[in-house]
Amino acid sequence: MPHILIVEDSLLVSSAFEVIFEDAGYSVRSAGTVTDAIERGAERAVDIMLLDLTLPDGSGLDVLEALRQRSALPRKTLAMTGHGDAATRHRCLAAGCADVLLKPVPMRELLRQIELHLK
Amino acid sequence: MRSVEADAELSRRIIEELRARDALKTQFLSNISHDLRTPLAAIITHAEILREGMLGELNVRQRDSVSGIVNGGQQLLDMIDEILTYVRGEGDQIALTRTPFSITELVDQVCVLNQPLATKRGLTCERIGGEEMPAVYADRDKLKHVLGNLIGNAIKFTPDGGRIWIIVSRRGAGGEDLLVEVGDTGRGIAPDHHELVFREFAQVDSSPSRPHHGTGLGLAIARRFVELHGGHIWVESELGKGSRFYFTVPLVPAP
Repeated sequence: MPHILIVEDSLLVSSAFEVIFEDAGYSVRSAGTVTDAIERGAERAVDIMLLDLTLPDGSGLDVLEALRQRSALPRKTLAMTGHGDAATRHRCLAAGCADVLLKPVPMRELLRQIELHLK
Repeated sequence: MRSVEADAELSRRIIEELRARDALKTQFLSNISHDLRTPLAAIITHAEILREGMLGELNVRQRDSVSGIVNGGQQLLDMIDEILTYVRGEGDQIALTRTPFSITELVDQVCVLNQPLATKRGLTCERIGGEEMPAVYADRDKLKHVLGNLIGNAIKFTPDGGRIWIIVSRRGAGGEDLLVEVGDTGRGIAPDHHELVFREFAQVDSSPSRPHHGTGLGLAIARRFVELHGGHIWVESELGKGSRFYFTVPLVPAP
């Protein structure tokens, strides 16, 4: 069963994602801070990490860097951002994200992206 | 007696103060819009979960009601995004990202995106001409935004069963500008209001009971995006005789 780590500081959002992914048959964990996300990411192999860029204790991309140093990078990381500008997109791809999704991602589109990146 | 220098200094300080306050308001608008997005996005997603029956099947009336939450939320989100787009432009954060692309393909794409709404209202939306147009070297996302706004408005203000058309052509002696016309058989705009519609926060009918709500920013953003390209945007219309919105974009060669 593929494992998804949701890194998102809004419980309102992550709780919705949990329902969607569990319903689709994935195992799911959530983290709301950079610290939390590094811990969750390092304790178990992650297939897909959904990464919010704005977290209370830092940038989502800090998570990626910390996991890289621990050799615990997720198989794929999909960044989620409210800003669709080219600079943000470029920054995420340069940091190793497989794609950048513009929030809010419609539910079907989100599931489609997850399936696509799990292949 | 106050000296001319002192007066000038006072004016300068007042202008500076007003600019600072204006920037503060813009920043506030940007922050609040951004913060409104997250809970709103969550509301939409939770409603989608219910609508899709993930937490148990709904009957038809329940599903219609939940669809109302999704659609209403989406409308609100579009308005917040419009405010954010506008605010970013205010802060001079807007630059053009030019790429070569086909304008007719873009027009067709925006038509397809708007088709469900048009069909629901019994409106036809078709592109005329432009097949011979060379690739345009411009900011595709921004022109898509302009087209989306003009076509969206045409749908909004045209009575059921009407017609909307988009004509793509070239203008100028040497065909140096791209000219796009978005026309409709809607209620039209009185000549007195032709300038007003492009002004920020302006709506021809701004009463609380007006039939169409919005931020009043759509056409102001469209004008900004067109002018960033060095083009012009204007409207030709009379009450009861439909509207024709035009915009031009100078055709520049790709490097």
